[in-house]
Amino acid sequence: MKETLLKFLKIDRRWIFLALALILFTPIIKPIGLPNKTISKDVQNAFNYLDKVPAGSFVLFSLDYDPSTRPELHPQAEAALRYAFKKNLRVGIVTYIAGSTGLIQQIIEKVPAETGKINGTDYVVYPYMANALAAMTQMASDFYGIYDKDIDGRDARSLPVMKGVRNYKDIPLILSITGTSILDYWVAYAGDKFNVPVVGGVTAISQPGYGPYLQTGQLKGLIGGMKGAAEFESLVKEPGKGTSGIDALNLAHIMVLLLILTSNIILLVVRYL
Amino acid sequence: MTETTWLIAGAWISAGLTIFLFSFLYKDNPFFKIAEHLYLGAGMGWWFQVYLYNIWKPKVFEPLAGGDYFVLIPALLGLSLVTQFIPKISWISRYGFTFMMGYGAGLEIPARLSTDFMSQIAGTIKPFSLMASMSGFDILNALIVAAGTICVLFYFFFSVEHKGSVKKISNIGIYFLMIYFGAAFGNTVMARFSLLYGRFDDLYTSSAASNFYATQLILVAMAAYFLIHSFLGKKDQVEEAH
Repeated sequence: MKETLLKFLKIDRRWIFLALALILFTPIIKPIGLPNKTISKDVQNAFNYLDKVPAGSFVLFSLDYDPSTRPELHPQAEAALRYAFKKNLRVGIVTYIAGSTGLIQQIIEKVPAETGKINGTDYVVYPYMANALAAMTQMASDFYGIYDKDIDGRDARSLPVMKGVRNYKDIPLILSITGTSILDYWVAYAGDKFNVPVVGGVTAISQPGYGPYLQTGQLKGLIGGMKGAAEFESLVKEPGKGTSGIDALNLAHIMVLLLILTSNIILLVVRYL
Repeated sequence: MTETTWLIAGAWISAGLTIFLFSFLYKDNPFFKIAEHLYLGAGMGWWFQVYLYNIWKPKVFEPLAGGDYFVLIPALLGLSLVTQFIPKISWISRYGFTFMMGYGAGLEIPARLSTDFMSQIAGTIKPFSLMASMSGFDILNALIVAAGTICVLFYFFFSVEHKGSVKKISNIGIYFLMIYFGAAFGNTVMARFSLLYGRFDDLYTSSAASNFYATQLILVAMAAYFLIHSFLGKKDQVEEAH
């Protein structure tokens, strides 16, 4: 009996990989539609801050993630941008991660077209900047000191989307979606220093680390990982990749819980029986 | 090549490289090595063009061509770092590093002191001055945060021997840390699953008929490779035994 049980603990881990692959793949082929019923306070706050920005205002999106964190952060960025356009906000997109440029291009080819938004009038994309700190400090005094041209080489000052925007005082919200520590910089160099409300979107790994900033109100809201993306999508009523990923995440978590429970029960049985 | 052909080629390359890299979970193989080396090589090439076209061209070459010679100062300071590779003149790199350290410290220290130190201390204390207007849950939350902060700080305070009541407090600090590590680990697992889901989602997209069943065909080819490899391996073993 004991030997049989111990064999389970020595199972070739490749079987677990295979089971996990099947479990994650199944809902992609045939969605189950497991509900995502909870909306966390931080995601709700992130939504509320974006929601209460008056129509026509200029919001800054800092999209700093590369393909390695795309599954978690791309749905967040898509949902937030879609909602900003729905609210008729003017949007400026900046990035301090070179790997983001292609992903931003993907979003820009897709989202503005859905709502008929025009490049230069309703939104603007700025080129990649290597030094985030230099850009952030410069933007405090003169936005165009660092971003004089958009990604297409047009003079930023003359674009209708930038009308009335000179520095942080003219930006009512910064949304930083990142798989790096750039959100910390936004909090320190724009939020704390110039009282610009900063809302974040981060990977699930980084999420617990932002608790202190949320507790003190330095960060106004936080979207964490694919779960956060799903919550945000349900708040803006635009189901996307975050929502569809919930099936897979739920099933994978059930599998991990079952494996942990089974192996612990086996260990207890082996030890005490 | 038309755009559709490029998209199909992209799907095949994407699916192929993903499957090649995942194949390592079964066992090491030449396809994994190809994908690994390709990743490193392509990454280096990509970064080179990023630096060239996104930094050197707009920040150095173009201003210089326009007669703005001030950019020579930061450009030369930046270039001085490269002298690290030539021992005889490596001392020049100190100028670049000195500038970076001074600039970095001047920017970071005040901001971090304010954001991560003063604001956090204030954030821990502030709720106690607002208790009259706080709900029971918020008061409890504030107490837990304050107690957790103090206990964890005790755990990391090494100038007093951890015994008696100090030991008890620092032990409570360990529990707070364990809760944080548990939450962080749980979130890490969720994040990894999300990333895996993302790759599988892309593999599913590549498996469409419009992409000529890239995922299925590459998977079958990989399975065939492992089968043949395993068969040939066994045959070699039998021959060696004889």
